[in-house]
Amino acid sequence: MRSQTLSIGGMTCAVCAGRIEKTVRKIEGVSSAAVNLASEKLFVEYADTLSLSSIKEAVIKIGYEVLEKPKGLSLSIPIGGMTCTACSARVERVLRKLEGIESATVNLATEKAAIVYNPAAIRLPAIKAAIEKAGYTALEASRDSAVDEDKLRKEKAIRILKTKFIVALALGLPLLYIAMVPMITWFNLPFPKALAPMNFPFLYALAELALVIPIIAVGYRFYTAGFKNLLHRSPNMDSLIAVGTSAAFIYSLFNVWQIYRGNFRAVEALYFETAGIIIALILLGKTLEAISKGRTSDAIKKLMGLAPKTALIIETGPLGETIEKEIPIDEVLPGDIVIVKPGAKIPVDGIITEGQTAIDESMLTGESMPVDKKSGDPVYGATINANGLIRFKATKVGSDTALAQIIRLVEDAQGSKAPIAQLADIVSGYFVPIVCAIALAAGIAWFTAASTGLVNLPPGKSVLEFSLTIFISVLVIACPCALGLATPTAIMVGTGKGAENGILIKGGEALETTHKITTIVFDKTGTLTEGKPKVTDVIVLGGGSLPLAPAPLRGSSATPSTGATAPVTPPPLTPEDLLLQIAASAEKGSEHPLGQAIVQGARDRGLEIFSAGSFTAIPGRGIEARINGLDVLAGNRKLMDERNIPLPELEAESDRLAGEGKTPMYLALDGKAAGIVAVADVLKKSSTQAIESLHKMGISVAMITGDNAKTAAAIAKQAGIDHILAEVLPQDKSAEVKKLQAEGRTVAMVGDGINDAPALAQADIGIAIGSGTDVAMESADIVLMRSDLMDVPTAINLSKRTIRTIKQNLFWAFGYNTLGIPIAAGVLYLFGGPLLNPIFAAAAMSMSSVSVLTNALRLKRFQAVRDNTNRTGTPHSGK
Amino acid sequence: MEKAYMNKTAKIIKSALLALLALASVSCGDLDVVGAGSVESFDKVLKHIPQALTPDEENGGWSLTAPDASSRFIWSRNYAQSPRYDVMIEFEAAPFIAAGLDPRKLPGNFAFYEGKLMAGTKLGQETLRYSGEVTPLASYEQIVQLKRDAVGYHGALDHYGVNLGGGNLFEWAKDMSTNDKDMVFVLDPEPLLKAGVDPARIEGWLFTKVTVDDENGKPIQVDKILKPFNLL
Repeated sequence: MRSQTLSIGGMTCAVCAGRIEKTVRKIEGVSSAAVNLASEKLFVEYADTLSLSSIKEAVIKIGYEVLEKPKGLSLSIPIGGMTCTACSARVERVLRKLEGIESATVNLATEKAAIVYNPAAIRLPAIKAAIEKAGYTALEASRDSAVDEDKLRKEKAIRILKTKFIVALALGLPLLYIAMVPMITWFNLPFPKALAPMNFPFLYALAELALVIPIIAVGYRFYTAGFKNLLHRSPNMDSLIAVGTSAAFIYSLFNVWQIYRGNFRAVEALYFETAGIIIALILLGKTLEAISKGRTSDAIKKLMGLAPKTALIIETGPLGETIEKEIPIDEVLPGDIVIVKPGAKIPVDGIITEGQTAIDESMLTGESMPVDKKSGDPVYGATINANGLIRFKATKVGSDTALAQIIRLVEDAQGSKAPIAQLADIVSGYFVPIVCAIALAAGIAWFTAASTGLVNLPPGKSVLEFSLTIFISVLVIACPCALGLATPTAIMVGTGKGAENGILIKGGEALETTHKITTIVFDKTGTLTEGKPKVTDVIVLGGGSLPLAPAPLRGSSATPSTGATAPVTPPPLTPEDLLLQIAASAEKGSEHPLGQAIVQGARDRGLEIFSAGSFTAIPGRGIEARINGLDVLAGNRKLMDERNIPLPELEAESDRLAGEGKTPMYLALDGKAAGIVAVADVLKKSSTQAIESLHKMGISVAMITGDNAKTAAAIAKQAGIDHILAEVLPQDKSAEVKKLQAEGRTVAMVGDGINDAPALAQADIGIAIGSGTDVAMESADIVLMRSDLMDVPTAINLSKRTIRTIKQNLFWAFGYNTLGIPIAAGVLYLFGGPLLNPIFAAAAMSMSSVSVLTNALRLKRFQAVRDNTNRTGTPHSGK
Repeated sequence: MEKAYMNKTAKIIKSALLALLALASVSCGDLDVVGAGSVESFDKVLKHIPQALTPDEENGGWSLTAPDASSRFIWSRNYAQSPRYDVMIEFEAAPFIAAGLDPRKLPGNFAFYEGKLMAGTKLGQETLRYSGEVTPLASYEQIVQLKRDAVGYHGALDHYGVNLGGGNLFEWAKDMSTNDKDMVFVLDPEPLLKAGVDPARIEGWLFTKVTVDDENGKPIQVDKILKPFNLL
């Protein structure tokens, strides 16, 4: 199964999006297709056997464009020294012969070569060298990145729309003036006598016609797309505009003919201004819409702008010397050695090979504290080298970098659909045909009623004009474009705002479900707590010597883990140190934070740590190891019970320690209890505040842990947690989540995303805490880029705000249509009220889209509530 | 893309405007449909009541007399030679005097002479040149060609009319077959009121509200004193 995102051109409303989705889904092998009207993208999943071109063809066939991105990098190189077409042809030939050049076109007039090339096969200096070798001068090249291209395309579209609107406005205003002034009897506005409608009706009509024709021409796309869709029996917004304005235009044209024939009163039945102003207003709406749409993807643009444009790499010169060379970032290849000076941005991902520094990774993780880095540590593109000069080996470039992955994640999320959008999609699908039917029915009904004298006509209107006005108004006011924009715009702004705050929401569905959360389950270790517990107590059974003196551990025959020579005379160890040494040696192979804390504790006390002969981790219980013939069992009470190891005296100590929130780990040597090593993990400073915020939001908070109930209770008490799920094995965590779900709760699970993966997947919303580079991003619905738990209530708040915005948008969009249609259909007129002028209908329709977009953009003002003092001191540097 | 797009739009605009220009050129002579229509329908009126049409040497023009001979419309053959007005209506003064008129109080666009009242205006001083025979219709055509502002279409009554100045008009039906007011003498009541006339008491004339177009072509409702005739 493959997935692809295609940029689509030519869509105007939700109906277009729905039509493309429907068409693509019909293709055999396509498993899903979703179109985002706001970002103008089609997200498609399809079988490996299906070719992408067949999907593209299907989209093109129904009248839309698939906007292709060039595969290679595009570049423009100004070339000096060309004098004739033979020169430009020669340069073209030279360039095309180079390996890695996908296309090359040389324009003699602009003296520029437009090149698309594969940077893995050829680099810019080689291209320039080839031009120079041919006898011409290659000047400074300018690059068009895919991002810029997309930006340029959108800017061009906005410029075109603006120009069209200006043309329409420049002609529409005089048209409106000419049409309206003769009707305004209460105010004397100047009017050319030569166009007095009753005196010179034909000239008057021709003047209106001359003004409206260019307006219709600039809006020709509404007609080509609208009628095409109508012919395909899939009318869309364009169809409504096209039919409505065409009716006004054709009827007016007929009346021009009537005037010419001598029916001068037909001058009162010209509706050119209706057609012209409707087009002008729709163009205004479309222009504002395009501008607003561009602003909804600001977050992505910001992320894209983080990466530097160039990188400084080390190359070997012709004489074998090392030279530094600045190259475009797109040309950096895995394996290149990159130099980053203090204050400069890291261009791509890699591993430090030389130097040490502190790196500001806040743009990726949100952490403001710079992270210390030395040789062997990873660095990530777009982060800032704070103080030292480093060299690193590029490992991930282009679309593989952490930044690119984050951008992709946000883009995918922005393109995805929330379940709430389905309602809008369904309604939009039926809306236009129903509106056409209503318009026709209303027109016919009023025509019949007026013809038979059941209703009085407005002054100066004929029956046909009256019913035509209603027909046009209904068509124009009912356009469902606001409906199509209501959801995607809010999701785009919402997910973008999340990304800005280090909260990666992986789709519309996640965004929508998050606001429904009633219970949040926090993993304890590493999530609520720092995840770096420390040894606090070592208790030897009986308070004296160990039951079994492990002589080999005292030195000579054992191999120290450091590889250093064992001391000739080992220092005397206390029983506690000895027990800790045994525990640390046994836990050396463990990846569990508790095991690591014990190892660190032993190191802190200067104890040697020995290699274990064997090591077995027993999930949820502890470990089993053999150290020079001594069987060591370290773990919780469950482990000891299962191995039938009695714990005399130790249970009381264990209870005491647990009561203090410490984690007691029993140690048994050769099957006999030897003592307890206790470790404690401290709460993150942000945990208490986050839980308080969640409580204020009415969300119940649970903690899930493998710790014993007492330890868990102590931590829960400190954090203010309501519900404790203690002594839960990793594999049982998802079952616990399931139990909560069975109680009818909407559950979110917050964990570190690795050992909590099943529970994260089981929960309605999985929230992973980790850096943007973590593989755990794959399993969660929301990824918090920093370790600050305040981002959990922030994510929920953001979801609530976004869903509220979507609901407001849908309300307004539906409201415009449900209120607008009856008014346009003349319901108010029926009760003595006014009749809606089609021009006002067009204005209302345009403003509905603009208001929906403006409402979505209000989300940009969303601010995460954070307390800087709650930041964890140790930044998460990635795994 | 942008350039191509705008070029395409420009081409459409150019083609459409060229088509419009062609349409205007084809109908070049007939762009003034009201002027041309008024000539045509005036001719029909003249031909329908040929006995009412006579030369008026005294006023240097032509006279079209109403069926009851109480009123007539007079238009000049040559503006340089018209003694008082180039277009005017002449009607019996008696009903107005009976309704309280003091002829001495009438403004300059009115004249009282030998029991008749005249309301009219001077269109110009120039000598009119005719390409063909000097006929009543040709003299009217001169008004349409040279003094187009004096001719209008009255949509509310489907009439053409000649503006006699001061709100006074002479109108005739665009289509006599569908109109019951084929020839109408129209007076502005204002100066007559000032001259002592009680408009409701003028025998043979109708005092009523009429929708007319103002000078900017806007329809307005005004009081008028009318004398309509149905010729068919």
